[in-house]
Order: sequence, then C-alpha cells, then structure tokens
Amino acid sequence: MDRRKFIKNSALASSLFFVPNFVKAFESVTTERLGYKRLVIVQLAGGNDGLNTIIPHNNDLYYNARPRLAITEDIIKLTDDLGFHPSLSPLRSLFDNGELSIINNVGYPNPVRSHFRSMDIWQTASGSDEYLQSGWIGRYLDQHGKKPYNAMEMDEQLSLAMKGEHFNGIATNDYKVLYNTAKDPYFKNVLHHYNDTHLSEHNLGYLYQTMIEAKSSAKYIFESTKVKSSQESYPQNGFSKQLRNVAQFINSGLDTKVFYTSLGGFDTHANQDNKQTRLLSQYAESVSAFVKDLKQNGTFEDTLILTFSEFGRRVKQNAANGTDHGSANNVFVIGKSLKKAGFYNNLASLSDLDANGDLKYNIDFRAVYATILSQWMNVSAEGIIPVEQKLLDFV
Amino acid sequence: MTPRESQHLYWRAGFGINPTALKTLPKNRTQVVAKLFADSKVVTPISIDLSFMDGVTIRDIRDNPKFAQELRVKSRKKLAVLNTAWINRLVLPKELLREKMTLFWANHFVCKDNHVVFAQKFNNTLRIHALGDFKTYVKAISKEAAMLKYLNGKQNRKNQPNENFARELMELFTLGEGNYSEKDIKESARAFTGYNHDFDGNFKIRVKQHDDGLKTFFGKTGNFSGDDIIDIILKDKQCATYISSKVYRYFVNPKPNKQRIDAMAEVFFKDYNIENLMRFVFMSDWFYDEENIGAKIKSPIEYLVGIVNTVPVEFEREKDILRIQKVLGQTLLDPPNVAGWKGDKAWIDANTIMVRLKLPSIMLNNAFIASNENDEFRKQFFKKKKGKFPFKTQPNWERFSENFKIVETDTLQNYMIQGPINDGTADYLEILNKSSKQDYCIQLMSLPEYQMC
Repeated sequence: MDRRKFIKNSALASSLFFVPNFVKAFESVTTERLGYKRLVIVQLAGGNDGLNTIIPHNNDLYYNARPRLAITEDIIKLTDDLGFHPSLSPLRSLFDNGELSIINNVGYPNPVRSHFRSMDIWQTASGSDEYLQSGWIGRYLDQHGKKPYNAMEMDEQLSLAMKGEHFNGIATNDYKVLYNTAKDPYFKNVLHHYNDTHLSEHNLGYLYQTMIEAKSSAKYIFESTKVKSSQESYPQNGFSKQLRNVAQFINSGLDTKVFYTSLGGFDTHANQDNKQTRLLSQYAESVSAFVKDLKQNGTFEDTLILTFSEFGRRVKQNAANGTDHGSANNVFVIGKSLKKAGFYNNLASLSDLDANGDLKYNIDFRAVYATILSQWMNVSAEGIIPVEQKLLDFV
Repeated sequence: MTPRESQHLYWRAGFGINPTALKTLPKNRTQVVAKLFADSKVVTPISIDLSFMDGVTIRDIRDNPKFAQELRVKSRKKLAVLNTAWINRLVLPKELLREKMTLFWANHFVCKDNHVVFAQKFNNTLRIHALGDFKTYVKAISKEAAMLKYLNGKQNRKNQPNENFARELMELFTLGEGNYSEKDIKESARAFTGYNHDFDGNFKIRVKQHDDGLKTFFGKTGNFSGDDIIDIILKDKQCATYISSKVYRYFVNPKPNKQRIDAMAEVFFKDYNIENLMRFVFMSDWFYDEENIGAKIKSPIEYLVGIVNTVPVEFEREKDILRIQKVLGQTLLDPPNVAGWKGDKAWIDANTIMVRLKLPSIMLNNAFIASNENDEFRKQFFKKKKGKFPFKTQPNWERFSENFKIVETDTLQNYMIQGPINDGTADYLEILNKSSKQDYCIQLMSLPEYQMC
C-alpha cells in the first residue's frame, strides 16, 4: 500500500470511532517525522561469546586462555589479527562488500554480569546503577511514533526495549492470529456500541482506546502485508522465521520503522563449542537470506541491522569447556551505506583485562544507539538516550 | 455493608468472591473485616519437593562443574513448579488477605533468584511477615540469601563496599527516591558489609568482612550494624508515608490522594504494624467510595486467578500456566527488575489487551465467544484451527453453576463486573441472548470492563 492510500485508510478508520483527546495528540505527529529508514534489531540472548565469534587468530593470549575452547581450524581470516568463526561464512560477502561493520569492545561502565539485569540495561539504555521502566525504542515511539505498529517485535510478548512511557510498540509472532483475534465479531460489536465520550482520561477509557488501537493495528498489518511470500529460501528455524516475517513486512512497505527479533541460547557455561557453532550458523544463514531478500526487493538500502548481546563472556575458558559471564562484546551493524565498514576499531587488549578477567569496554553501547538515532533514523537522541553520547562514525 | 461493598473488599483483599460465598458473609463491616484478618492469622508456607538437593554439598558443586550445571537446570525447572504452586495457592486460599499481601510485597521487596531453594525461602519470608511488623520485615529481607545475591550484598565487603542493596533499601524499600543523600548510601552500605549466607541459605555474618568503624548516617554517628540502619530509616516518617502511598495505590486507587495517604501514614508510623494499617484502610468509609470501586486495572495474576475462581479450570499442561503469565506480562518469581512491575496502565498494550479479552474464551470455551452473528465466524474459526487450541484446559462449569445458582442470568453482570459499564456496551449486553448463563459469563469476561476491579 502506498503512503497516500494509507493516510486515506487510516483517516477512514479513525472516523469510525470516537478518538479521545490524548490519542489525538499523537495524530499531530506526521509520519514524515519518522523518516524512511528502518532499523532491524537482533538480540542474541544469553551472552554470546564475542571472542569465539570474532577471533583474534594471531594472539597467543587468546590460545593460552582457552586451551580447549579456542578456535583453531577453518577460521575465516579477515585481517592479520581478526577473523570470523567458521559458522559465520555466510556473512563473508557482506564483509567484503563493505556492508558489515563490526564494533569491538562495546559495553558500559561498571558492567553487571546478570543476564536479566544486563539485558534491562541494554534495552532501556540506562546506566548500570539506575532502573528505567521504559525502553529506548519505546521512548523513540513516545516522541515520534503514531501507531503501535511503528515498531514491531516478532514475539508473543513485548520486550522492555519496545515499551515507552506513554506509547508501546506491538508484538506478534503471527500477524494472522493477531488479526483473527482482533476481528472476533464480539469485539467488533462491543466497539461498535462504544459511545462514551467521557472515559478517555480514566482507566476504562484507556482500555477501550487500546483495544481500538490494537484492532486497527492488526487490521493494518494484515491488510498491508502482501501475501506473496518471498522468493528467497530461508533456513528452517524459529529465528529465521522471524526475519522472514520482517522481510515480508518491509517489502510490503509497512509503516514500521523498527523491527525487533531475537535468538536465544547463548548462555554457554558448559560445552560451548557445539552450541555456539549451531547458533552462529543459524544466525549467519538467516541474516544472509534476509539481506538477499531485501536486496531483491530494493529495500536493503533503507534498512540497518543491529546485532547485540547483553554481554560477552570471560576471556579464560572454565573447567567445563565453557565460558562464564563477561562484559564488553562486539556489535554487528549491517547496511548498505556504512561510513566505516569492516572493523570499526581494534579489539581491546587481552593482557589488560578488568578485575574479573573480562575485556574492558571502550565504546558505550548508548553511543551506538545515539548514532543510529541521529545519523540513521534522523531524530535527536535527546530524551531517548538518557546521557548525552559522543557520536560514532559507522553510519 | 452492601453486597457491592463486600465484593469490592474481596477484590482488593483477595481475588473476588462468588455469590454463594458472598451470601454467607456477616452483615456489618466490622465483622467482615475481622473475618478477613482472622482467616489470615495462620501462615502456611509453600513447600514443594526439593529432594533433588538432598545431600548435595558445596564441595560437590565446586569440584564438579558438570554436576553444578545439571543442578542449575533442575533448579530452573523447579522454579516453574514453585510458580505453579504459588498460583494454585492463590486460587481460593484459606489465608486470603495474607496471600494477597504476599503478592503485594513481592512487588515491593522485589527479588529474583534462579536457585529454587532460596527463591522458595524468600517467598515464604514474604508470606510470614506480610501482615506483621514492618521493622522486623525489612530486617528479615536484608538477610535473605536470595536478596543478598540479587542486590550484591554478598559482594559487599569491608575494603570493597557494594552499595547496591543500601541504595535500593532506601530508594525502593523504605523511603522513596530523593529522601536520602549519596553519603547516606555510602555510609549505610558499610553497615551491611560482611552480610552473607551459608550453603542452605541461612544468614551469617563474615566478621572479617564487616566494617566496624564509625559511620555517620542521617546525622547520627555510631558503629552501626545493618539492623541499626533500618531502625534509623524507620524513625523517618517519610518511610510510613512512602509505604502508605504504595498501599493506597495498590489497594484503593491508582490515583494517589494525599489527605488519605497522610491519614494512613499517621496510623502506620505509630508502630509500623501492617495489620493495623490494613485494618484502617478496610474500615475507612472512603475505601468504599464509588470512585474507588472498579478503578483499578487487574494485574495479570489478579486477572488470571479471578477467572479461575469464577470458573475452576484444570490445565492439562502445567507449562501453559507459565505461558499465560508470560503473554499477559507478569510471570511470578520473574520480575522485570528490582523496581518491579510498573502496574496499572503499564499492564495494557495492544498485545496484552487482545490476549486478555480473548483469554477467558480460550481457557473456558474453545476460544469461542458467543455473539449474535457467530455462526459464520465460528465455522471459519474451527475450519482454520482444525481443532487445535493454544491451551489444553478442563473447565469445571458444574462448580460455576453451583456457586452462581442463586443468580439470575440477566443480573450476572452485577457479580462479574465491579465498576460502571460503558453505556454503549451496556446497550449491547441488553440485546444479547441470555439463554445460557455459561455463554453470558464468557461474554462478560471478554469485556474491557472485566479487566477492572
């Protein structure tokens, strides 16, 4: 659906229902302010071992710290110092084309090594000693969003990252189910009879309004998504399915600026090798298929893909052929017009570790966010990223 | 006391009440409130089967990482069992108010631990003190193994103080943000140094790690222990006000009312007795004001337990109970962070509203809400679904019929819905065919109004 048609349709939709004043406030924000660029976020949940992902293949300290866990064979050597885990071979061409930027040593001061706490920090963009109840994408929506589907998560439930102070994104792992639920004739009838004009400030009015929003979002997503499925063949796994859906939404021209996906299972305390090999190849094969799909449909140039994990893992392997929770880690940025492709910066020293034996961070993850917001999404990071950040130069 | 007032009380002090039970309640407020407290005199701890830890020693774990990893996996599975045990406890418990308070405190003294032994112990500590002395309560919480882990109390050592617990103690547990200085945090953190627990989760002080020097806290100087710090904090009336405000927003109305909160704080500050505070709230005329009835958005747990209390449901797969909590946005024992669930409007977004409105029919009626134009939809729906439903449940409609037999179908909404019904929706309800009490129950549960209590 093109933009003009969308505006016409949404005007029609909103005239069907009474729209309380507080929702009208959002209407005044024009879609143009959202810009045309899209962001796809990939969360590697559980703490991916960055050192065995981007391997310092020329560094004895690495091999000494990991006598049984270091990757020794089939490393995809990209520079004299760094190379890919063998599973990442599908990403090789992106790297060679200048469509992948790897930012090393991303973290934050006083790192927290708890999964859920660290994930909160990454999702809310808070400091390690503060607790925010809204996420960075949620706050982006607060300022610039208009409809829940402006940010979509490919899951049953909405991550904290997607929750704003006043506005939330929408989560769906199957938009057809969402649509079928929303179009239940009973709900249609209830809303058809909804005629109370005084409820909007109260909780009950808020419930009705959210129900209307949900219904119209589900309808919009369902009706705007082209049924024709992608030509590209994706591998068979859950993560891949998420990306395939994202591609379908992007290629259908949905007015969604942020997509949120995740791949879990990276908590490799024991017998890391097989697990990580399997997960990284799922990641690389799926992302590679996704990028090809976007390229075929001419939507790659307006899409940026950000991959992060809540923390990296300890440099030294543990006794169970695994690794424990660490701190700084690498972040992947994939896109067409990167200012600095390849390795954005060098890997932090393996001889100068912190008191826990973890890599020291030298790029704050919030600087990555702030850069994406201002350089890519074309909005000010102020009010979205709590602490002002020096912008980076990758996009 | 009108039935409507009793219902209101039972939604706030519990998870609703069915018409038959409502009928047996005493007639005046004093007696009803007295009954609530009398019923909650006893403490029944939750105790799930944790024999997988029998005989395990700290050495087994230290020396055998593989075994340790297996235990972690088992522990996480047992957490799901503990979760279900807690949910089952909330369904028509004998100690109703105590259980509701436990749920409240679990979102006040927020803590999470994947070690199921510590998680269960913490949960029972919440339950034991839920209606007791707040001073004793805070001290007990400060010594819980799960809390010592969660807020880095274990890492709080003489030469390397960790301020995490001290900060949250004041910011979230007792005073509220901004009612203390950074210096107070630093000094009080020193008082909690050396706090630790043994392998079984019992509190112990590591004397060598405890800083026994002089500390200056809230203008007082002394060789304070952690307990001393808590005593000093509670001498500040702000603590009584902060807790009263939280109780008011949870039990009375999400919109705070300064005058009433101040009145509550007067009562609470006298002796920090939680039971006295709650009795004051439930006995106050303003608690039963129209503006407070049906003003609150049910939390996912209140919502889920409320449904099950109306129509008993058995889940064929226990993991479905977890999944429902997850999609509704509140999984017990798994809070989002130490600030807990934000509550109120934050429970509701485009996803959760749809899940909530659809859930009663999914759990109780094969995902089907009867309505006047249902046939086509129903046919299509069943064709698409091929008889597959997300949850396998067995609703017990006989029990519903028994509990609701004294109610005529066309007045069922008086028992199901607490607050006012939106005019248009009320008109729509009028035209629905009410030949089936069961259908009408599902219809009422599928309204936005049913989300309120």
